[in-house]
Amino acid sequence: MSPRRPWHPWAMLAPTFALLVVFFFYPLGYAAYRSLFSWDLLTPPVYVGFGNYTELSAGGELARLFGRTLLFSVVVVVSSTSLGLGLALLLNRPTRAAAFARGAVFSAYVVSWVSVALLWLWLLDREAGAVGGLLGHLGVSPVDWLGSPGIALYTLAGVTVWKLAGYSMILFIAGLQDVPAQILEAAALDGAGPATRFRRITWPLLGPTTAFIATTSLIASFQVFDVIRVMTQGGPVQATTVFVYAIYEQIFMDLQVGKASALVVVFFVVLMGLTTLQLRLWTRKGGAET
Amino acid sequence: MTPALGRRALILGLGGTALACARRDEFPERKTASFWFSYGGRNREVLEDLARRFNASQTHHAIRPVFQGDYHEGLAKLRTALAAGVPPGLTHVVGEVVPYLYEAGTLEPLDDYPGAHELGLVPALSQAGAWVGGGDRPLVALPFNRSTPIAYFDAALMSALGLRPPKTWDELIEVARALTLRDGGRVKRYGFSSPVGWWFWAALVGQAGGSIVEADGRVSLGGHAGERALALWQRLVHDEGTMKLPLGRDYDAWEAVNRDYLSGRTAMIWTSTAFLRYLEDNAAFPVLAAPLPADRRAAVPTGGTYFVVPRGAPPDEKEAAYAFVRFMLEDDQTIEWSTRTGYMPVTLSAIERLRRSGHYERHPNAAVTLTQLEDAFPWPWSPDLFRLEREIIRPLIEDTVLENRPPAAALEEGRRRIAARRRP
Repeated sequence: MSPRRPWHPWAMLAPTFALLVVFFFYPLGYAAYRSLFSWDLLTPPVYVGFGNYTELSAGGELARLFGRTLLFSVVVVVSSTSLGLGLALLLNRPTRAAAFARGAVFSAYVVSWVSVALLWLWLLDREAGAVGGLLGHLGVSPVDWLGSPGIALYTLAGVTVWKLAGYSMILFIAGLQDVPAQILEAAALDGAGPATRFRRITWPLLGPTTAFIATTSLIASFQVFDVIRVMTQGGPVQATTVFVYAIYEQIFMDLQVGKASALVVVFFVVLMGLTTLQLRLWTRKGGAET
Repeated sequence: MTPALGRRALILGLGGTALACARRDEFPERKTASFWFSYGGRNREVLEDLARRFNASQTHHAIRPVFQGDYHEGLAKLRTALAAGVPPGLTHVVGEVVPYLYEAGTLEPLDDYPGAHELGLVPALSQAGAWVGGGDRPLVALPFNRSTPIAYFDAALMSALGLRPPKTWDELIEVARALTLRDGGRVKRYGFSSPVGWWFWAALVGQAGGSIVEADGRVSLGGHAGERALALWQRLVHDEGTMKLPLGRDYDAWEAVNRDYLSGRTAMIWTSTAFLRYLEDNAAFPVLAAPLPADRRAAVPTGGTYFVVPRGAPPDEKEAAYAFVRFMLEDDQTIEWSTRTGYMPVTLSAIERLRRSGHYERHPNAAVTLTQLEDAFPWPWSPDLFRLEREIIRPLIEDTVLENRPPAAALEEGRRRIAARRRP
């Protein structure tokens, strides 16, 4: 069946397409162009070709940045997805206590990043924080959660997981409620225990939900900024300087538009690659099991 | 109600609201300049009070203060506005970036503005005295909120322990040790804290007898003095365990130092004179200010910001901006700004008036800021220095102190990177 007016679909797509061009494709293309210059906005731009890229990679800065961001993302995606799934399995029941717990867990997700960061900044204070106090009662020595280069990135990942777990939980609960009860009952009648039912039925059927959660968490973790800006400003040393924060530092602090643009391009390519890879893996996995 | 009446009522209502919200200017023909500023809290209140007073006193000029975030954010916005060709009539920037903005041709020379060279500025705080060769260049920067690093103590604690502010680095180590309070393995109160950053390191390098940039323009990072400065921090942090490293970086670290001091978790801090009134008003204990200790010599850098007029601003805005700057540099405003914030008065006549009024006898902490000014050293006129600081020196200082790396090797690495650095 063909539409009566063939241009209708294009007209309907046009506003979205225009927004994408103006706010996405053009800025990205402009960033790619500017990445070939050394420029500080004030003095005339100097064409340096791929100089910004080679400078970033030759000093090892790009590799360190990528490694740090990837480590942060892996911790966040794996932990928030696992925690979300665990909480969903625990709280997917029609009781008031479970409803209250669901609301409490999800509330972290609706709080702004800045508020979350300020809250944890206070909780994790080495001397006066509630976490330190609690551990002190258990005989654990004070930990410099945000001041130690070896720990700070994991601490920020933990805060991010705390915030994102509610989001994963809600989506997993929706996924769990879509699992047909008859199949689970039939499997139970056939003698399958809870673990087997989860492994053979629930988990495979949660595949699309998991793929969605993992992909959106991956993107969110790669884009992390507020929590770093408020809690560590990329430090101590450069221990928590991840991609987006490095872009911010380059352009706002160091006044290097060219290098910041080069980072934007690399960031886009990396994120695009990882997302594609992740979706492909999940699609293939889902296809093999169905 | 008919739809037509409803529409009319809506239009009338919106029009009335718009009229009610519209600001009425008593002198609509006044030349008005936007003033982009970077203060929060008390300093912002004081500045806005003074701007209101200026506007109330003028028939030809007016100023419109607009908050633009901290110094870094303000500078980023200024650059963007300059690139877009729509700069404000007036702003203020940290001293380190004045040479950069000047060399980029973005600042209005003020030499021909009426009375620009007859303002009676404190030499060390003016462009001529704050930079090596600053007086040989066109006048582009007039001092606004100027400061130096200074030491603050819990006076009651110092008195109870029979301590006096340290005058040398050795005494600093001793006093920090005496002020530190431990409970088993935990430190309940640190003796000392300071942001591990550029400005304070520059002070230490100067005290150790060196300078970051040599007279010939070579960036030496202080040589042996630079190493001694880093080694002092390393000793206090790692060997003595008496110095608390503040959380965060840049101005966040400064705020953390203030918080620790006010909450009694640190008994002695180094921070800016800018916080004098803030700390005095908010501390639950008497605040004692003292000059920084000396090593080979007494030395402090100056800091804070300068008024600058962007060259690309409209002529009317520049005129109004300069009128506001002149107003701010009059004794009444200079004194009010200084006494309500802690920044140093920037004109000689204002200082003299404060002296005559007995202000410094009543507020000995404020007198310390002036005394210490005698030890201030000028910065090199280097358009590139603030970039080197951001990109190389700051991370290097932080890394060396936190990771306890050998200072000599770290500074050598810094010098190598500076030499290899491609200009933007």
